[in-house]
Amino acid sequence: MNTTNELRKNIKSLIAEKKVDLFLGWEKGSLPLAATPLFVTAEDQADKAIFDVTCGNNLSIYFTKDKKQFEGRKVGIAVKGCDARSVVLNILEKQIKRENVVIVGLPCNGVLDRKKVLAKTDGREVLELIDNGDTVIVKGNGFDLQLNREEVLSSSCLACIYPDAQEYDFFIGEARGEVPNEGRLKEIEEFQTLSSLERWEQTRAEYEKCIRCYACRNVCPSCYCNVCFVDQNDPRWIGGTSEYTDTLIFHVIRNLHVAGRCVECGACQRACPMDINLLMLNRKVAMEVKDRFGDIAGLDINGKPAMSDFKEDEKQKFIMG
Amino acid sequence: MNMVRLDKQKFSNFILELSAEYTVFAPGKVGGKTEFVPIRSEDEIDFKTLVTDMSPKGIFFPSSEVLYEYDKQGIRVPEKEIGKPIAVWGMRGCDSRSLLMLNKVFGSAIQMPEDEKFQDPYWKEKYDSSLIFGSACNTPLSTCFCNWFGGGPHSREGMDVFVVDAGDSFLMEPVTGKGSNFLRELTCFADSTEKDEAVAKKLASDAESSMAAPMEVTDLGERLNDLFEEAVWEEISAKCINCGACTFSCPTCHCYDIQDEGKGSRGKRIRVWDSCMFPIFTMEASGHNPRALSSQRVRQRVMHKYSYFPEKYGEFLCTGCGRCVTACPVNLDIREVLKTINAYNKQGITNG
Repeated sequence: MNTTNELRKNIKSLIAEKKVDLFLGWEKGSLPLAATPLFVTAEDQADKAIFDVTCGNNLSIYFTKDKKQFEGRKVGIAVKGCDARSVVLNILEKQIKRENVVIVGLPCNGVLDRKKVLAKTDGREVLELIDNGDTVIVKGNGFDLQLNREEVLSSSCLACIYPDAQEYDFFIGEARGEVPNEGRLKEIEEFQTLSSLERWEQTRAEYEKCIRCYACRNVCPSCYCNVCFVDQNDPRWIGGTSEYTDTLIFHVIRNLHVAGRCVECGACQRACPMDINLLMLNRKVAMEVKDRFGDIAGLDINGKPAMSDFKEDEKQKFIMG
Repeated sequence: MNMVRLDKQKFSNFILELSAEYTVFAPGKVGGKTEFVPIRSEDEIDFKTLVTDMSPKGIFFPSSEVLYEYDKQGIRVPEKEIGKPIAVWGMRGCDSRSLLMLNKVFGSAIQMPEDEKFQDPYWKEKYDSSLIFGSACNTPLSTCFCNWFGGGPHSREGMDVFVVDAGDSFLMEPVTGKGSNFLRELTCFADSTEKDEAVAKKLASDAESSMAAPMEVTDLGERLNDLFEEAVWEEISAKCINCGACTFSCPTCHCYDIQDEGKGSRGKRIRVWDSCMFPIFTMEASGHNPRALSSQRVRQRVMHKYSYFPEKYGEFLCTGCGRCVTACPVNLDIREVLKTINAYNKQGITNG
């Protein structure tokens, strides 16, 4: 079954039957390695929709962009497993109403991290991408490179346990089920074996690269504060430079603010123009949240986000020592 | 002075001689990314990358720069760490051209009434004494669109010395008197031959013809002014997430913020890059924000580059380097934006 064709049919009927006013999907972008968000409001636009390895954007960011731009509209959205968790989280956090959203789940085999692809081509420009399943072929002027899928997938996908939407109205294609992914925490486990000085050096080296463009924050569906703390200047919470003393504060606070709310979609890491390993701390915090509160962000539409809930028997190591 | 030839075997000598007089910046790898970094030897240079991820504007206009420090004794401009002037190796035509544009703003390198003339000392100190070695693009990328705005892969604008990579040698052509003086002092060059010049010409014409045809931009500024109130901006900005990846990677975006960092009776005043994409950029003390919406901020960035700047300084504030195209997390391609503007008529119909 061709997922893209089925998706297009689905969007068309949703629009035709007036079940949605707007559908959020992806279309082919101007670059071979990146699809671009698509806003469908008429049936004929549905034929632009695609779903493939380049559809990395988590489209649920648009629910909270410019606050309530979709208010009063029914919105359809194409989701990967992680994106669906963001939609659920947006619902649980009362940013959108379940009845105003039509969720279309798609069978996800992971999305590309274009920086990983470009690292393989040694600076040469990629002009074409062919997805062959286990391998992807990238072509450019005078080269033709076959790469294993694992080499170029976003590291969030390599650590993904829930590739399928758990909450959906329609599911296109075959669900993959839970992926054991035993090695998913390997990077964190290795990091934890380092001495505190080594951990500091490594962390500092990552956040030193930051230029404060906030692409990570702005592609994050869980980052939707009316005014982000970095955008406040009375009082000012953070210095304005791109020195690591300031950038580290931004990242650590953002990291803690999305604790129990980060769905580990990896959009932040893929968006980062400076190639910062943003996922590691996020994953570490998600691991802690699961360990202490038994919660996995956005998985259960009947649940409550860990930080919005309190159970008498939960671990209180932080307070009680 | 004519073109001279530097055999690549002698390149390390050349870098050594250049380093004796200048602090040399060149494209280098930082983590997985490429940017202009200070180098000491040939090995540190990344020759493969055509357009570095970050533009070289940060060499002259750093992302954060201490303007002065203060305490009870008064204010002090921090001492320069490096006494030597700056030389840049490997700057593409789009980037060297961007410096001329920035110099119009920071260096008042434009006819202006005397009372409006302002010269930024921090910029001037670095830029005026610099020596720019340009680098011809023999294989422009699909994201390059310098030819839309009068640039080209073998453009020499903004360079002191124009350099063509001709395989086993670099062919260097002085563009300014400063460039010519420097080349004259060195001994590692050979005179170029007719063959060398033919090679350079061929590379230039091949590179030019490999680029896609430019979009017509003559009336872009007027069109933009005309469309200021139109709904097209909502259509254009729908997917923009208002991060600063475009503005910070852009070689010509130069908006900044001044911040004070003080503690007790001492502190410093710092200039940091700012971005019109951020809501706080125009937030007023009253709490009112004249550009509260994404569409207003996107419009501002486009208007500044293709309408306001040309009106004031006589050219577009864009060199077509394509960095914003590749850096954008949602692939909002500025070329598509400009095409939409060009095809839009006031009845709200987008043609083509």
